[in-house]
Amino acid sequence: MDVKEIIDINTIKTDLDVENKDEALRELAELLLENNYITDVDGFLNDIYAREAAGKTGIGNHIAIPHGNSEFVKKIGVAIGITRKDIPWETLDGRGVKLIILFAVGKNNDGAQSHLKLLSSFARKLGNEEVTAKLLQAENPESVKAVLTS
Amino acid sequence: MKIVCVTACTVGIAHTYIAQEKLENAGKKAGHEIHIETQGTIGIENELTQQQIDEADIVILAADVSVSGRERFNGKTIIQVGTEVAVKSPNKLIKKAEEIVNQKK
Repeated sequence: MDVKEIIDINTIKTDLDVENKDEALRELAELLLENNYITDVDGFLNDIYAREAAGKTGIGNHIAIPHGNSEFVKKIGVAIGITRKDIPWETLDGRGVKLIILFAVGKNNDGAQSHLKLLSSFARKLGNEEVTAKLLQAENPESVKAVLTS
Repeated sequence: MKIVCVTACTVGIAHTYIAQEKLENAGKKAGHEIHIETQGTIGIENELTQQQIDEADIVILAADVSVSGRERFNGKTIIQVGTEVAVKSPNKLIKKAEEIVNQKK
């Protein structure tokens, strides 16, 4: 399996028109709902906020990786949003966020080892500055996918 | 020098691996041999060998939860930080490791 199997063009939005974290998370969660990754937006967001409360998910350089285990996740997936302007977020470098990568992972992941493994290699890519610099420049979902699968 | 690391975070799907990538790049850039074990939701990967641990000049534990098998590092010089430190300032962390190892010499 390859990382491209968890990158879904339908859950990538490169023109997020949002003012804050809540709007961004909600819009990305809606994408996950529409594409059958989660069963409930509010329930899912509750679990995401539980992780947000435990520590900063803004990893610096305008990137945030909200995530958490949620019983409302049907299928492991990722929603990616790029905003037009920096939005406020709790970050390690105190700067705002432009690229939001929302991980959807279930509570019970039996039989999902291969997908979890993909997610971990995907997370690893986000630690690479060359990758994140290119992602921040991506203008459409196709180019986001291209950067992540190259 | 030779460095071994373990990364582990609370949920075990994101910070563990971002920290791994950042530490690996920072360590290699500074010219060190670096091995990183990840302890995440999928379990332990790149498990450190006894030889890697024995040969290491220093151990970096970048973890927000207790590291499983910590006793493997008994008697070694250990830097313990949260994953945030490794994600935010990997180069500084490697530099600190260098300083500690040089002081011991």
